[in-house]
Amino acid sequence: MNVALNKAVFAILTSGLLAGCASNSDWKRLEDSKYGLQGASAHIVAATGKRPVWVQSQEEAQRAASQTRAILKNKTLTRDMAMRVAILNNKGLQADLAEIGISSAEMWQETMLMNPVVSIGTAEKATVRIFESAIVGNLLALITREKRVDIAEAKFREAQHQAAYSALKLAFDTQRAWIKAVAAKETVSYLLQAQTASDASSELAKELGRTGAFNKAAQAREHVVFAEISGQLSESRISEREAREALNRLMGVWGDDLNYLLSSSLPKLPARTIVKTGIETEALRTRVDLQIAKYELEAVAREHKLENATRYLTDLELVAAVELEKPKAGGPTELTKKRIELEFAIPIFDSGKARMRKAEFMYMRAANRLAEKAVNIRSEARGAYDKYKSSHEIALHYRDKIVPLRDVIKQEVLLEYNGMISSTFEMLNDTRASTNARLMSVNAKQNFWLAEVDLRSAIHGGYGGSSGGGGVSLAEGGSAGH
Amino acid sequence: MINRRSIIGAGAVLASAAAWTKTMAMSLPEAAIMKSPDMQPPIFPISGPDYQPVVTLNGWTLPHRMNNGVKEFHLVAEPVNREFAPGMVAHLWGYNGQSPGPTIEAVEGDRVRIFVTNKLKEHTSVHWHGMILPSGMDGVTGLTQPGIPAGKTFVYEFDLVKSGTFMYHPHADEMTQMAMGMMGFFVIHPKDPKFMRVDRDFVFLLNAYDIDPGSYMPKIMTMVDFNIWSWNSRVFPGISHLVVGKNDKVRVRVGNLTMTNHPIHMHGYDFEVTCTDGGWVRPEARWPEVTIDIPVGGMRAYEFDAKYEGDWAIHCHKSHHTMNAMGHDIPTFIGTDKSKIAEKIQKVQEEYMPMGENGMADMAEMEMPLPDNTLPMMTGFGQFGAIEMGGMFSVVKVREGLSAGDYADPGWYKHPEGTVAYEWTGDLPEPVKSGDAKTAPPRKTVG
Repeated sequence: MNVALNKAVFAILTSGLLAGCASNSDWKRLEDSKYGLQGASAHIVAATGKRPVWVQSQEEAQRAASQTRAILKNKTLTRDMAMRVAILNNKGLQADLAEIGISSAEMWQETMLMNPVVSIGTAEKATVRIFESAIVGNLLALITREKRVDIAEAKFREAQHQAAYSALKLAFDTQRAWIKAVAAKETVSYLLQAQTASDASSELAKELGRTGAFNKAAQAREHVVFAEISGQLSESRISEREAREALNRLMGVWGDDLNYLLSSSLPKLPARTIVKTGIETEALRTRVDLQIAKYELEAVAREHKLENATRYLTDLELVAAVELEKPKAGGPTELTKKRIELEFAIPIFDSGKARMRKAEFMYMRAANRLAEKAVNIRSEARGAYDKYKSSHEIALHYRDKIVPLRDVIKQEVLLEYNGMISSTFEMLNDTRASTNARLMSVNAKQNFWLAEVDLRSAIHGGYGGSSGGGGVSLAEGGSAGH
Repeated sequence: MINRRSIIGAGAVLASAAAWTKTMAMSLPEAAIMKSPDMQPPIFPISGPDYQPVVTLNGWTLPHRMNNGVKEFHLVAEPVNREFAPGMVAHLWGYNGQSPGPTIEAVEGDRVRIFVTNKLKEHTSVHWHGMILPSGMDGVTGLTQPGIPAGKTFVYEFDLVKSGTFMYHPHADEMTQMAMGMMGFFVIHPKDPKFMRVDRDFVFLLNAYDIDPGSYMPKIMTMVDFNIWSWNSRVFPGISHLVVGKNDKVRVRVGNLTMTNHPIHMHGYDFEVTCTDGGWVRPEARWPEVTIDIPVGGMRAYEFDAKYEGDWAIHCHKSHHTMNAMGHDIPTFIGTDKSKIAEKIQKVQEEYMPMGENGMADMAEMEMPLPDNTLPMMTGFGQFGAIEMGGMFSVVKVREGLSAGDYADPGWYKHPEGTVAYEWTGDLPEPVKSGDAKTAPPRKTVG
């Protein structure tokens, strides 16, 4: 899923990058209104099996619609499929792709473009890494190469990354919506079970009222639990529909496409969580929104023609540029590279000239905002990782401790019922308690999967800090001394 | 089954009491240990006045030795595991391997020396309920003696000044130690072998425990809601039958160490109380009974001539006391139709079986899985089907031609032809009942 997502995002990003990387011989191709997707189509097909369409004609719109329908029809919609439909079908993403089109059109007008080197394929095989290296490659190229690049290109890059960011956010939001929709569906199914148990209690109480064994209060105690749980069930069905609508919006579906089948339960919890060392560094390297901010800063620098960075402001400390380049036993290049990877470095310009002072302050304002963002991103990464690990532990705790313990009680009370030691009502109450434990377990599992999406979005962008639902807790059983 | 240690002790008595007197004068008597919850055969006297020894239901008599004319016994207070019936074991405290402890038998005029070793972790004592003895031998901690500390042995020594039926139990942390099963029988036979002589003499103590189904340890803080009503820490169908030869003179001695009274009812006979823990009842003070209420902390012995052959039930007449563990907050399901409800319940609890629509008798026959270490509330089978009992219930089996010492189960009674209730096979009149009785079974029942 992760891989597929990143491939899809990568594909979109790469399309932009390829446009940006066009050499002189390719400039002719900029005349093509769809230029930018072509170079990446092989990757997209390999990654998703589908060709994302940059819809610019009636036929293309129809084709996208039929592809969407093919994914949705008569199949159980998995999280991966939901994400693919969103990437293919979401009109907001089409708008963002249009932004690339606009900027590529502007680039077409600019004819003098110098392109940074993109080192795709030098990194690890995992697509995440390819994606990262694409960005880092560009970033490093921009930081380290002291060359004049015009504002148009900076804005073009910003548009490209903005589109990539939108695609990421769309993909992550779709996954969040899918998780919530499935959890809501699972919640409804457990509430149905609870309703069945309380329905049986209620009917039994009514029957006991008929024979004269139960007074009105004893009957009402059982009826009211049934009534309350029925109310909860209705509410949970609204939540289920709401969650599905949220998913519908992100997938951009309507009409006949709405009749897709949704998985009936969330994926199993992984036995182990992914171990992340250097989560902050990873986030700083890969967060697309940070890259956007960086290009904005770059644009400020270019606008004011600031050149020759004299030092680097990091989000941690000020590091002298000289120190960065100081040779060491391991070799100066490696050291520099290592420092840049470990810390988020922002170039600083100190011309000392009066005419530049205002520009320098404007730049420093933007630079400090960028540094602030970097600090926040570190925090988000740490927080997301912590929540990811903790929510995994909590979800395991519900699944492996609380649910089995409730099942032990449920089983034992059945044996006690067999021996006429416990009443039918006690047995049904404990059945409800076991269902309640499952409801809590579903909620914990939902929180884990949301935290898992949050972790990826804290690293790549599109971090929204999605809050899990509070979960449903069943109405208490009557059990008035049966 | 008496183990090796006790055989040595008992065997030595058989061999020569005098030899023991010389060699063992200053040592502790062997403490016999009982491993089995089954009824052991009586131990007949081999010296001193003759007497008809008692038989303790699911119990045994403690062997003794003679030491310079003193009868020496050795009781060991210790934790025990007691089987209440096959399928249920309780973690109790008792004496010499079982709860209740072994029955102590001696003769009026004997001097007894009883060694009590405390293998519990807290102090204990033994009170000799109903006996006439020096105040300092009465066994009340703090009042008449210090408690016997954990790991220590105390000696009680006194003369048995009157015959009768008595008990022993701790008077140290008494509530706990009795709730844990510490008690025993003490029978003093008359010096005159002819006085109140019987052919068979059964003894048992009434006791009560509160053991949650699925658990093993009694809840010692329970005051009223006991769920195990037992005879000698044993419940039906685990209680020994009282096997009697036709025309035997039979005595049954019942002591009550529970916290409520028990009307003990025996079928097939009328009888008279001949002895309490206060002593023998004068003939002119007796009256006929078929049910004897055994008061709390009291003892009643009744006698009858076993003239009528058969299988005669004997039980506490409080009907909840002839049940094993059961719930008391179960609604009465009589007359309900659970067929549709059962379908719903089975969706959330597959193994649910509806019960109780016609009464509770289906409980006794269904034999469904129960919690660990739990006996069915009503159980047991006889030659005609489920007996549907538990707790304080047993059978007096009166048979022709049993030899004097034969207490083995003779099997179910072979009823002479034409003496068993039988089904009417002629025309059936419409049952007489009010037309709309709600207690009538539902038209559509499910099993």
